[in-house]
This record gives sequence, structure tokens and C-alpha cells, in this order.
Amino acid sequence: MTNTGTQVGADPATLLDQTEMSLDPEAPEAADAAPSTRRRRNRYTVDGSVIAGFGLIVLIAGWISAVRFMHVPAYILPAPEAVLRALWAGLAVNPASPQGYYLPLWSTLSNAAAGFAIGTGMGLLLGSLMAESRMVEKLLMPYAFALQSLPKVAIAPLIVIWFGFGDGSKVAIAALLAFFPVLINSFTGLRSTEPERIDLMRSLSATRFETYRIVKLPNAAPFIFAGLDMAVVYALLGAIVAEFLGAQQGMGVVITQAQAVSDVAGVFAALVILGALGIVLHTSIRRLEHRVVHWGRRGKQ
Amino acid sequence: MNTRSTRPLIDIENASKTYVTASSGQVHALERVNLAILEGEFVCVVGPSGCGKSTLLRMLAGLDECDGGRLTLAGREVEGPSGEVGVVFQAANLLPWLTVRENVRLPLRVGGRHEPADTRIDDLLAMAGLGDFGGRYPYELSGGMQQRAGICRALARNPQILLMDEPFGALDALTRERMNIELQRIWQSNRKTIMLITHSISEAIFLADRVVVMSARPGRILADLPVPIPRPRSFDTIVSHERYAGLASAIRGLLNAQEGAPND
Ligand SMILES: Nc1ncnc2c1ncn2[C@@H]1O[C@H](COP(=O)(O)OP(=O)(O)O)[C@@H](O)[C@H]1O
Ligand SMILES: [Mg+2]
Repeated sequence: MTNTGTQVGADPATLLDQTEMSLDPEAPEAADAAPSTRRRRNRYTVDGSVIAGFGLIVLIAGWISAVRFMHVPAYILPAPEAVLRALWAGLAVNPASPQGYYLPLWSTLSNAAAGFAIGTGMGLLLGSLMAESRMVEKLLMPYAFALQSLPKVAIAPLIVIWFGFGDGSKVAIAALLAFFPVLINSFTGLRSTEPERIDLMRSLSATRFETYRIVKLPNAAPFIFAGLDMAVVYALLGAIVAEFLGAQQGMGVVITQAQAVSDVAGVFAALVILGALGIVLHTSIRRLEHRVVHWGRRGKQ
Repeated sequence: MNTRSTRPLIDIENASKTYVTASSGQVHALERVNLAILEGEFVCVVGPSGCGKSTLLRMLAGLDECDGGRLTLAGREVEGPSGEVGVVFQAANLLPWLTVRENVRLPLRVGGRHEPADTRIDDLLAMAGLGDFGGRYPYELSGGMQQRAGICRALARNPQILLMDEPFGALDALTRERMNIELQRIWQSNRKTIMLITHSISEAIFLADRVVVMSARPGRILADLPVPIPRPRSFDTIVSHERYAGLASAIRGLLNAQEGAPND
């Protein structure tokens, strides 16, 4: 939804660019548009979070009325207070306590992060090699698509056999899931570079790596960030799925243990934690993208 | 006023080009083009769209291979991009993720060059009236300013030869005239050899020492018309020059005889 805000901001500036007719070459009309664009976007963001907050209130009101007035049993839908209590029990403890969320969260998060780093790094590396060389593309693309169309979670048991029940299999499954979106997106982004820009670099007799670094990689950056955005959620998913298959600790273990004793409120509380974590990770990627891809905010040149 | 040697700096002999594409088969773009441009000369090339003007320029820049004939720049046969000619592209073709100064400095930090030369870049920017805009990003500049930055970039390596492919085609008429005046000034103070492709007859006459008119595809050279109008020229006085109307109608006549003739 922030995208719409950007688009709205881009229009007046582009118009100014095109109609610049002033006889004074120094006149910075286009530049003057920048602050107002920024203001516009902020106002939009506030509107967005107000709407999201309103949605949350409606959701919780519906939840409460379902439990109170429609008597949905607690083993299907626990009362919000029960979930809050479970959350509190997990959060208001000594961070080193095995009863709290902190140790499992750390375990899941560190495995997901390692998998994310390995998977996205490999994705970018192979995506780049495929984009740069038709031969590598022909060699790898069929396998990439074959693996891509396979439900990768189904490979998880195999990976557990290979890597065991320790952190290795968690990292491996997280990496496998994080790999594909970045592979495909970096490949697409690198290949989408305008031929004119490549001609420019050729006319300067730039090396292949200079062209990659200065032109193709920045050109692919918005694509790569879209891939990272998916990859960060997939890495978390991969780590949790691996924990379901067997683990000593982690949020996946918290969920299976709560499930084993029919502690539905405990499952809900763990899901709330994971949901919040997902939002934090997604937002951090978007923040990073906003900072790195600073030129894309106001249309193309 | 122009001291010229008789040695052609750009020499095109019997250049031909045929593109082979899967969709439309063979496209015969250029047919035995001969053109010699002397050092310090400003030559404008006009011709119907699709007649191979860009192809000719790209071959000179080493971006496309010619499949018949010989191209030499400063006595050396063109075998690929040499990095020695400045190319100005139709769209300004600036990299949006670099500031204006970084864009203009780009030629000094790629292709085995690591020249600091920042005063030179600032001089170029000042000359183009972009002195205060070095730290801005391209999207903060108007189209005319972007194209001026593109020209600065082409001049960064101080090349002898500047090849320009419809550089002002995307600009409005007024900005375009201003850019023509500035380009004339840059050319007069830097003594570059320039080949510029344009659709505009008035732009061609204003800028050129010689206007080369090309035929529809396959592109051949129909006429090579000298422009004996003294410099510096201005748009106010040039149209009333005794030779202007004759030249313009000669060029228009040649283009109208072709298919899909452009008008000014
Ligand atoms: N890379 C290419 N592959 C196939 N055909 C091309 C290619 N580049 C140009 N052409 C064709 O060659 C002809 C001349 O193109 P071009 O030199 O761009 O013309 P101009 O610049 O005079 O408009 C056109 O018909 C165009 O479609
Ligand atoms: Mg062209």
C-alpha cells in the first residue's frame, strides 16, 4: 500500500520535469517538488496505520463476541484473556528461563537468519551467474524450475535425514526456501537492464564486472529486495517446519508442546509472537530497501 | 575561423549492414555508405526513420559490427568500443542511482581508468550550467538539464570525437533551441569533431558545417550539403540568411522524395 503513495507522489514531479520551459537554466522547479512529495507520503502512511488499527479493533471485538456470546468452545477459540495470559507467562520471565519465549525465539531466529543469509547469498550468486552467462542459464534453469515447482516443504524430511535433528537441518531448510525467490528475482532484475545502459558501459570499454556492479546490480535492486522480502518470511517458515519434524528447542517446539497438552491458548500465543516477528522482519527489509533504492521513489529518470 | 586539417578523422568507406532477425528475416539497413569527416568538423545526418542512421553511429562507436566496408577513426580501424569517442544517447541515459556528478565522472572510473580529476568534472558541470546540481540525482533535473549532463559525461574523457544520436529529440522546441546554442558554444570552445543525428532540419542547418541527407532503407547518402552560414549562429538571424531557405527546402525536398519523410 505504500507503493500507491509513492506513485501519487511521483506524478506532479514528473509533470514539472516535462513542462520545464523556464529560460533560467538554474531554476530548480523540479527539485522544489521533493519536500511536498515527502509530506504526501507520510500522510498516507498515517492513514494506512489508522485503518490497520481500526481493523485490529474490529477483529478483537469479533473474537470476544464469538467467545462470549456465540459460546465457541475454548479448545477451538480461546478467550483473548487466556491468550494474553499465555503471552504474559512467556514474556514476563527471566530471558534465560526455559519457560519463556526468549530461548526458543532466539534458536528459531538464529537458524532462520543463518538460512536466510546462506539461501539468499546463493540465490544472488547463482542468479547473477545465470543472468551473465547463457550457458549457465541453460544448464541451471530447468533444474531451478523443476525444484521451484516442487513443494519444497516436502523435501524437509529428506533434509532431516541428511542433516540430523540439530540446527543443521533447520538452517538447510530455511536456506532452501529462501533461495528461490532471490534466485529468480535477481536473474529477472539483472536481465531487465535497459540495453542503452549496457551500450553506455560498452562505449566506455567498461569491464564486465564494472557493468555488473555499476549498472546491472542497482537496476536489479528493487527485484532483489522483493525477493528478500519473500525470502525472510520463507526462512522463518522453513525453520519452524524443520522444528515440527523434531527439535530440542524453538518456537516450533513451543507450538507442538502446547498442542500436545491441548493448550490452545499457548498455540495462539506462540502464533502471535511469530506473526509479530514476521511483521518486524518484513518491515526491516522494506526499510532497508527504502534506504538503498532511494532513486526509485519518484519514477524513472 | 576553424583550422582544419585535410586528414579525415572519421572515415567511412563502403559501410554496409544487414541485420538478420528471427521475426522479420533480413533487414538491409545500410548500403555502401561513404562519408569522410575532417578534424574539427560538425556534421549533421538527417534521414527518414529506420534508414540506418543509428546503425551508422553505433558502428562508429564500435557497438555494432559492420559487415562490409571499413570504418576508421583517427586512422585506426574500428574493431570494437575503443573508449576514445564520446557517445551521447537519445535519452540522456543517466544512471538514476548516481548523482549528476557521479554520472559525469563515470567515464573516469571504468575501463581501466581511476582518474581523480574532480576539478575537471566540476569545470564541465559549470560549463553546462549544472554547477549547483552536481549533488542532485537525475530525477531532480529537467529533461534539458539531464541531456546537458549526458553531454558532459561524453566529454569527460576529453575525446576528439563526439557521436550524438538525436540527443535533443525528446525535448520541447524551446529547450531544444537553447541546447543547440549551448552545443554550438561547446563545440566552438572545445574543437571537437562531431557527428550528430537529427530529425530536425532547422537543428541540422543551425549546427552543421555539412548536412548529410540519407535515403530510406537501405540507407545510402543522397546529398552532402555544406552550410556556408557564418558562426556563431543564432536562431533569430539564421532564418533570414540568404542561404537558409534554399538549404532547408533542398533538404526537405530530398526527404519528401523518400517514404515516411519527417517534417520539421
Ligand atoms: N539490432 C537490430 N536487429 C535487427 N534490426 C535492427 C536492429 N537495429 C536496427 N535494426 C533495423 O535496422 C533499420 C535501421 O535502424 P536504425 O539505424 O535504428 O534507424 P534510424 O536510426 O535511422 O531510425 C531499422 O529498420 C531497424 O528496424
Ligand atoms: Mg535512430
